[in-house]
Amino acid sequence: MTLHPLIEPGWVNAILPELVLCVGGLLLMLLGAFGARLRGITAPLALIVFIVTAWSEKLVLAGTFFGGTYEISGITRIFDITFLLSAILATLFAREYLEREGIEGGEFYALLMWATVGMMMMAKGLDLLIVILGLELLSICIFVLVGYHRRIPVSNEASLKYFLMGAFATGFILYGTALFYGATRSTNFTEMARAFSTADPNNVLLSIAFVLLMSGLGFKLAAAPFHGWAPDVYQGAPSPIAGWLSVAPKAATLIALVRLLSAMLPMLQFSLWMKMIAALSVLSMVIGNAAAIAQRDLKRMLAYSGIAHVGYMLIALLSLRDDSVAAIAVYTITYALMNIGAFGVVSTLAKNQNDPQTLDDIAGLGFRSPFSGLALTVCMFSLSGLPPTAGFIAKFYIFKTAVDSGHLAIAIVGILTSIVSVYYYLRVVYYLYMKEPAEGYAIVPAGGIFATGALAITMIGIFVIGLFPTPLFAMAGAAARALLP
Amino acid sequence: MTHILSWTIWLPIAAAFLLALFPRSAANTIKILGLFVSLATFVISLAMVQQFQEGIAAFQLVESMSWIPQWGIRYALGVDGISLWLVLLTTLLTPVVFLSSWNAIHKHPKEYVISFLIMEAAMIGVFVATDLVLFYVFFELTLLPMYLVIGVWGGAYRIYAAIKFFLFTVTGSLLMLLGIIYLGFLQFHQTGVWSFAITDFYGLGLPPHTQSILFGAFALAFAIKVPLFPLHTWLPDAHVEAPTGGSIILAGVMLKMGTYGFLRFVLPFFPDATAKYGPLIIALAVIGVIYGALVSWVQPDMKKLVAYSSVSHLGFCVLGIFAINQTAIEGSILQMVNHGLSTGALFLLVGVVYERRHTRMLADYGGIARTMPLYATFFVIAVLSSVGLPGLNGFVGEFLILAGSFKTQPVWTVVATTGVILAAIYLLWLVQRVFFGPIVNDENRHIPDIAWNEVAAMVPLVVLMVWIGVHPNTFLRKMAPSVEQLIATVERGRESGKAMLAKTPARRSPLAARLAEARQ
Repeated sequence: MTLHPLIEPGWVNAILPELVLCVGGLLLMLLGAFGARLRGITAPLALIVFIVTAWSEKLVLAGTFFGGTYEISGITRIFDITFLLSAILATLFAREYLEREGIEGGEFYALLMWATVGMMMMAKGLDLLIVILGLELLSICIFVLVGYHRRIPVSNEASLKYFLMGAFATGFILYGTALFYGATRSTNFTEMARAFSTADPNNVLLSIAFVLLMSGLGFKLAAAPFHGWAPDVYQGAPSPIAGWLSVAPKAATLIALVRLLSAMLPMLQFSLWMKMIAALSVLSMVIGNAAAIAQRDLKRMLAYSGIAHVGYMLIALLSLRDDSVAAIAVYTITYALMNIGAFGVVSTLAKNQNDPQTLDDIAGLGFRSPFSGLALTVCMFSLSGLPPTAGFIAKFYIFKTAVDSGHLAIAIVGILTSIVSVYYYLRVVYYLYMKEPAEGYAIVPAGGIFATGALAITMIGIFVIGLFPTPLFAMAGAAARALLP
Repeated sequence: MTHILSWTIWLPIAAAFLLALFPRSAANTIKILGLFVSLATFVISLAMVQQFQEGIAAFQLVESMSWIPQWGIRYALGVDGISLWLVLLTTLLTPVVFLSSWNAIHKHPKEYVISFLIMEAAMIGVFVATDLVLFYVFFELTLLPMYLVIGVWGGAYRIYAAIKFFLFTVTGSLLMLLGIIYLGFLQFHQTGVWSFAITDFYGLGLPPHTQSILFGAFALAFAIKVPLFPLHTWLPDAHVEAPTGGSIILAGVMLKMGTYGFLRFVLPFFPDATAKYGPLIIALAVIGVIYGALVSWVQPDMKKLVAYSSVSHLGFCVLGIFAINQTAIEGSILQMVNHGLSTGALFLLVGVVYERRHTRMLADYGGIARTMPLYATFFVIAVLSSVGLPGLNGFVGEFLILAGSFKTQPVWTVVATTGVILAAIYLLWLVQRVFFGPIVNDENRHIPDIAWNEVAAMVPLVVLMVWIGVHPNTFLRKMAPSVEQLIATVERGRESGKAMLAKTPARRSPLAARLAEARQ
């Protein structure tokens, strides 16, 4: 094994977005510590940092850096944009939420930035260790963010739950990685691929390693049967964070998984590994959608629906072709818009955050507050995959890749569970427009200009992708082709 | 005027967005604007009829734009003899809805108008889309407004009805979506180019097994929509709970999306499967004819009676479609329009007395011909049209269907004919019990007669009933070439199916071949 010179020319350029976010986070922390009176402007400053980061993506040149462990390419750019989009939406919703709850502080946005750095590392790492480093950076930020509402018991409970279970998951991932290292003598994806191409498909050690790794990543994805934490954590976390948590970390884990699985491609065709992923997908779709029906708490319902959506995304992973990677990219962007939007509406419901936000809270909201009602309706229809929303396009893409690659049976499961999902998404619309609120109990959303702006972004995004998906397809398709030669 | 079809779709949508910006308090302005826009759309659709050239079978007034080039999906519109009159029916019934509910909607009038405008656009889109995915988008887009119309402005059990309506339809259409994707994939496999244009699927020569699966996916979606027995259970609930306007559109246009789907997609796409399973569908349709009629007979509720009569009448349409013969299909298309006019009128009229008396029970009425003479006149005309009195539209449609079907399906046709007799019984009985006899209930002595807006809504319907009844050729002439071509497509498909079967008996489906390829 040769040691590469780590500092290559152009390295600053390679990690420019990450640097901007790191420095921005530090500045916001300082601002929070020394400028208590400047609290009002922390959120706008955070937004500026995120937007500057998005702009800096343009300056970054494609290539591999740091001794072949860090890749900048079209696909990482798309996922970076997804992470930044999620963070921007979360910031917009958090601004008024935190102010209302009296817990505003610079560190909230700083943690969001560093978590984004972690996800960027996961998307760009060509080495399992880089991915794990990113994952840990992300996880630590999430532990704090979930428990950010520190005076509220459910928030603390959620944080502790995620911490304990997350620690286990990380252990599994590290153990799996160690076994893979033992078998392939490397943690670098390229070298692992070389070792896998000649490996014995019946090697028990490799299978154990794979199962361990998939359990850990399955936890991060909240894929069934590793989903137990999700409803509790989403329910307890501050709503803007719950929305962000249900989208961005999943996207980062998925892209890392794509890289890992494409390194294992020769093994996947012969072993049961693909069947395991198929099982994860089917279980997630069935359990997620079935359990969501029983939920009256909006955040728990969205948590279970999120489990189901991971199932849909995993369908695309079954056939590792450029088309399926593009489908995942399209799905994650779409999912970011519609799910954070839905959580965003929940975050504007001004009520004691220790109590559950139930369907009854949105009874009659559609006429009381037409804009929030419309936004939630659009998000629900997009989540259920009905045209002309982005959700339809994304689901169409997923099912198309499944049919293309001969996974017709799993596509049928996907369609049948989608029918189930229509029921509980539709129930939200029913509460919005057809249910009269209980006497003297009519919550009016407390969203100000920031939340309204965020909802406008999500709605416009959902319709633009739903009606004119071509540019996104072109971008995602080109990026995916470059990823999988 | 170019892009005439796009105008009919986008004008109502643009108006709906514009109306969304109006304040709630401007209810009257919103109603007037909604009526004005729907009338303008109707005028545009008249221009469409005027520009439509007779004697051409193919799609006319064609528009085509690339929409999602990666998958070969196009924004492609066109109208032919099969869809022409259905578009006109849609644009006619929307202003009728606005007129009839002028004073009936007190709750959220703004959202009501917006819902119907979007529904109108989506329904027109269903009939004029010549790209399968575009069709699907419009097909699904009709659901949300109708769900809201039933759920927000409906009767006591509206929520149950609305959710049932939505879930039934979505179950069929999502499975159809998978069918569409699979069909597109098979098309791609044969030609190497992605395309969802309807005409590209004609003569695809799919193996019988594949055809059966896809036939199942498509037929289920349309059978729920029509609705065919035993999938009809959502219909009485939806109709009874929907507000009058919702019932008019639901019965008048939305059910036809199912029969239209059979005609446009199922028959020409899967000719072999149609031959194989056609008798089954016909059997279900005829059962629906008899069953719907019998259930109508015993209904104490006027609206439910009309709702079940829809199941019966739509059975005739499906019978005509699967008889696959020129006369029967022409009659079937005409009957779709007829049913839209007569059942639309009946729902409207039931709504009129419900507005005044807040009951739809037959037992609460009796002898109101004396208090509401004008209303009674309209009602009797609509009933006679529905019964199939010669000289009115219903007779022409039913006669053509039965005459045509008798050539290919004599037994089922004879059975279905009893449905005509039953229709006369339950509908005339309805008239007798509501309008004639002594006035038992004192509340019926002072019901105000039909109002200006309701007359304005009824007059065009009655004019068309008479027109179609007296001179159906105005309408039949324009549809004949397209129907001929459709039948030719089906027969060509069957022959090539037979030839293919004779040549390569054990031909594997492309998917199986591809799977085998992947395994190697």
